[in-house]
Amino acid sequence: MLTRLVGGEVVDPVNGGTRQRDVWMRDGVLIDAPEGEAAEQTHDVSGCIVMAGAIDIHSHIGGGNVNTARLLLPEHHAAHQPRPANTPLSNAGWSTFQTGTLYAQMGFTTVVEPAMAPYTALHTHLELADIPIIDKATLAILGNDDFTLSLLRNGKSSAMLDDYIAWVVGSTRALGVKVINAGAAAAFKENVRSFSLDDVVPEYGVSSRKIVKSLQASVSRLGIPHPLHVHANNLGIAGSADTAADTIAATEGVPLHLAHLQFYGYGTEGKRKFSSEAARLAELVNANPDVTIDIGQVMFGQTVTISSDVLRQFTAIGNANPKKTVIMDGDGNGGGGIVPYRYKQDYYGSLQWAVGLELFLLITDPWRVFFTTDHPNGAPFTSYPELFELLMSSSARDAKSAELNATALELTTLASVRREYNFEEIAIMTRAAPAKLLGLKDRGHLGAGAIADVAVYRKGKDIAKMFREAALVFKNGDLVVKNGKVTHYRWGKTLRLNPPPDKAMVKRMKDYHEERYGLSLDWFTFPDSAIQRDAPFAEVSCNN
Amino acid sequence: MSVAWVGSQPVSLMDAIQNAAKLLASSRCPVFTLDTDVHGTRSAIALAERLGGAYDHALGETLANEVSLFTDHGGMFTTPGEARRRSSLIVLVGDIPASHHDMLVTWASTQPDLGDRQQRSWFHINDSATNSADASKLGRKLKAVSLGAEGLTLGGALAVLRAQLQERQVTSSLSNIDRLRKALTKSQFPVFVFSGASGEAASLVMLQGLIADLNRKGRASSVFLPADDDAWGTALTSLWMTGFPPRTGFSNSLPSYDPVRWDIQRMIRDKEADLHVWMSTRGGKTPPRGGRIALISLSKDEGPTAGAAVSISVGKAGVDHDGVSYSSRVGTFRAVAASAPSLLPSLSSIVQQLAEALPGRRALPC
Repeated sequence: MLTRLVGGEVVDPVNGGTRQRDVWMRDGVLIDAPEGEAAEQTHDVSGCIVMAGAIDIHSHIGGGNVNTARLLLPEHHAAHQPRPANTPLSNAGWSTFQTGTLYAQMGFTTVVEPAMAPYTALHTHLELADIPIIDKATLAILGNDDFTLSLLRNGKSSAMLDDYIAWVVGSTRALGVKVINAGAAAAFKENVRSFSLDDVVPEYGVSSRKIVKSLQASVSRLGIPHPLHVHANNLGIAGSADTAADTIAATEGVPLHLAHLQFYGYGTEGKRKFSSEAARLAELVNANPDVTIDIGQVMFGQTVTISSDVLRQFTAIGNANPKKTVIMDGDGNGGGGIVPYRYKQDYYGSLQWAVGLELFLLITDPWRVFFTTDHPNGAPFTSYPELFELLMSSSARDAKSAELNATALELTTLASVRREYNFEEIAIMTRAAPAKLLGLKDRGHLGAGAIADVAVYRKGKDIAKMFREAALVFKNGDLVVKNGKVTHYRWGKTLRLNPPPDKAMVKRMKDYHEERYGLSLDWFTFPDSAIQRDAPFAEVSCNN
Repeated sequence: MSVAWVGSQPVSLMDAIQNAAKLLASSRCPVFTLDTDVHGTRSAIALAERLGGAYDHALGETLANEVSLFTDHGGMFTTPGEARRRSSLIVLVGDIPASHHDMLVTWASTQPDLGDRQQRSWFHINDSATNSADASKLGRKLKAVSLGAEGLTLGGALAVLRAQLQERQVTSSLSNIDRLRKALTKSQFPVFVFSGASGEAASLVMLQGLIADLNRKGRASSVFLPADDDAWGTALTSLWMTGFPPRTGFSNSLPSYDPVRWDIQRMIRDKEADLHVWMSTRGGKTPPRGGRIALISLSKDEGPTAGAAVSISVGKAGVDHDGVSYSSRVGTFRAVAASAPSLLPSLSSIVQQLAEALPGRRALPC
């Protein structure tokens, strides 16, 4: 099928910026305009913006903790508005079916679940495989398990750590590695109640800094395209900006991705000892080219916080709304906490909202700041359209600010920042930059050879409406959304790395599992056929 | 060997599929009872959605009780692996189903290699009135110290235990409470092991209250061992597919969760349904009687199901074919290879064929 999109304003920062041109695709791939051939299907997209399909690098869309949140909160699904009618399983909150549908309607075609516990990888992939339309990927969590910590404690070689990480990434079908409050989950099991970058994990004598630095170096040595994805210590507490600053300073020339920086943007100034440090953090990020960040923007309303940072979630139990929680001391890097939460337009909520926007607007390089709400922790991903509007319109920010707690906003720089993102910056932040960060050369742009993931938005004054209801969305060249509604269901793939396993490490893991768990390694691994979909995975190359 | 019957007559699989599809297509309110692995559950729920039906698990009452702990309260949990490696003090709570006994016995022969590394000690708190012979036998095998609770329900015993550990005055007392108190002082990560069969939801909530108390200053957790692994696997699968655990229906094509309204056995009894689709790969189980409504049986039996309009034999994941099942041994799903591969079709393949035989001939998304 030869398809042509004609008359649109193409926003493609990778291939020459914004200009009016046709976009051609054949057999799921973008091509240059063919000479002497007529398109079998032509879409007039005059008056529309044409971008590559969007990529979300940090959204909790599948796996054990997400499913436990569904179990904990059957009454909560109504919070995920709007609910489209006449689609399969369409009022089911954040079921797998609805996750794919809602993302596609907004023009997103690839989403990364950033927290897969290695031992629950099969569960995660079963869920991801049931999310229609979009491609997915996951990051394997490391940094709290006995095996990693023992290697570090015992001074084992970096080659052995590399072999272990490669084995984990390969056997769990991950696209990268994440560390969550490094060492804290292990320390919490030993009754430690707070944990900072230079605190040491009992029993192992290894600091959080040492864990992060070791994993960061290993990820780099292995040629894993995505830098170590770091959920830092002290999330959400007043004074956490110091922790974020220390973590940013610790990069020392090696790339590092700092997740949901908004939750670390808090100082201890003011009457309530809770203030914005966004400007300081933005300055640190601007000055350190090794660092990329995503925001974790807070929006208002009911949500549920889902995190493998079990220590942080345990301390948040008292704020649960409604008053029910699940705290899980999982195996190694598993577990976490499910704490429902309602962001109110009070002092604290207003400050959090402003901190996120400050970071978005004060970090100058859109190639290093990523668009997330840390779904569902800061807000459901369904709030993205409203967030786009806030970034692209200072008057929209002013209007929203007028509804919020004035005392909180006075302690931020938000009112003085008049920057408005343009379409090109939006395309960088949500397409080109995520593709680059994840090592996905086949997407994030509209050049010949890329897969035909294309989002077409009808230009209008209502920015939120424009991004909520894409006029057309193509996934691998299939037209899947028309006028904001899914018109065709298909199955995407889960993107993974596949580093060759070291035989000695496989033997070591077999022995470890038999000795420590009394079970063969087969209990913790699985063949691709277990997913029961045709070719559920697509491989992405390592850098070396 | 025949695998398909219309009434009691053997027929080709295609004929059985066509007959079943006719019944499904003409039904106003089909209901589905599930008892299978992940992929069987996925396809069954997708079929229920397409037909506007409702689904429940064959062990719906027990599963609903387990689910309610989470939907109403939540709690603090850990995995069997972590309990085995880290806990030197394990307290069994109520009856633990026999299917989990082997695992617990294997723990008894090991010593924690993480945490305090002391020799493991065992306690058992139970309601003496309902304490089963199996539970007593397990307690003896593990040399578990009994926390006697004469005249108390399990919930009552847990309430007394909770109060006593907080030095509150109580009118009843548990035997061996001082031994437990001493063990708790020494243990860094005590774990309470319970099952959905351990007691009513209120008892399980009381247990979680006790664990929350212990976590104010120290650490403690619980291991939830489902009354039935396949049933819990069905609950988890249902959650990601629809957002809801079982006892979910698709009236108006949209999923809705209601543990009373979509209680399939109740619906059959009260004649709210007009077609029952029984899907059991467990073998030897029979569908509930009483409603006199049409029955389609997809089950692991060698012959037709009594009273079924259509019966089709299907295999079991992990026995007849490969599959994925929940395993409380690891607290998550695991791939299971066929232990005795057979020609019996998988439930999911039969459900796919049923869907394609329906008017419209659309494949299911699973």
